[in-house]
Amino acid sequence: MDKFHSIVLPLKNKLYRFALSIVYDSAEAEDIVQDIMLKLWSKKDEWDQIENLEAYCFKATKNLSLDKLASNELRMTESIDEDKESNSITEHETPFSLISRKETQSNIYKCIEQLSENQKMVFQLREIEEMSYKEIAEALDITEDSVKVNLFRARKKIKELLSNFEG
Amino acid sequence: MDNSYIYILLDKYWKCETNADEENQLHDYFSNENIPQDLQKFIPLFSYKNSMKTNYLSPDFDYNLQKAILSSKKKTKKYIIIKIFAPALRIAVSAVLVAAMGLGIYFIAKANNKTYFAETYNDPKPAIKQATFALDKLSEALNAGEKASKETLQYINDMEIDWISIDSLMQENIELDSAISEQKVNDTNL
Repeated sequence: MDKFHSIVLPLKNKLYRFALSIVYDSAEAEDIVQDIMLKLWSKKDEWDQIENLEAYCFKATKNLSLDKLASNELRMTESIDEDKESNSITEHETPFSLISRKETQSNIYKCIEQLSENQKMVFQLREIEEMSYKEIAEALDITEDSVKVNLFRARKKIKELLSNFEG
Repeated sequence: MDNSYIYILLDKYWKCETNADEENQLHDYFSNENIPQDLQKFIPLFSYKNSMKTNYLSPDFDYNLQKAILSSKKKTKKYIIIKIFAPALRIAVSAVLVAAMGLGIYFIAKANNKTYFAETYNDPKPAIKQATFALDKLSEALNAGEKASKETLQYINDMEIDWISIDSLMQENIELDSAISEQKVNDTNL
């Protein structure tokens, strides 16, 4: 019970943003976080066996989000078109809507969309949640080297794409 | 902040050599308004964090989660009741299964219990001896019967009976008998 309030619940918005960065739908992301919380609650007897509860939460969110993405085919590729973007993202009044008002700022979403799922997740956890390489490695169940490689490629690609947009 | 320092930081950033503090400095720098023309293209990258950071779950998330947890607890209670009775249920199911199997075996055995072939001896050797003796006796008896039959036939043949005349005699007797019976019928009718 204490761990739920001290570790799991404070993660809710981080998990939500992480899920949102994968499924690009706020309602879907909220459902994912609720499912994860419920799942964790039902397994509270096993919490002592989980070494890193925070990493476990991120892993579970990643897996469920990717599952939902695969089943619902909620892809940002469909929203590259400005109209579609406003339909799928601004519907639930997220800051995506505020950002997409400016043409230059919406470019970043187009860039992120070009990244692989791993690059996207690593970029999200590093840039937004300011997690260390080690924390990201544990959260995504990959090596630290893999985190660095994915982040390097993600930043490189974004740099190239942003430069191209300008050109 | 010195622009040259920003270029150095940016270079480190692209190479993934910046720490969290340095990355925060970059974010702070790009949130300012006086950004050199050649760096303006990177503003969306560093403003992305601020825009994403303002993404929160809806205010009723905690309430909905609490409701979901409570409803899952109710389901768990039902499960607990079943769990409590699980040992008793297991015993009951086992007993029923054993009884069903017992009855099944009993009826099958009963149905199959008809003796198609049963041995009536305990020691096979004397049994074979006795059977051989019995078969010998039967064989002797059959041989004796055959021999007697042959002798009788030979004896009859030796008598040289005129079977044709016997047959004609027998035929005459039959005709005579039928004539007598017809006569009797006529007499009674009169």
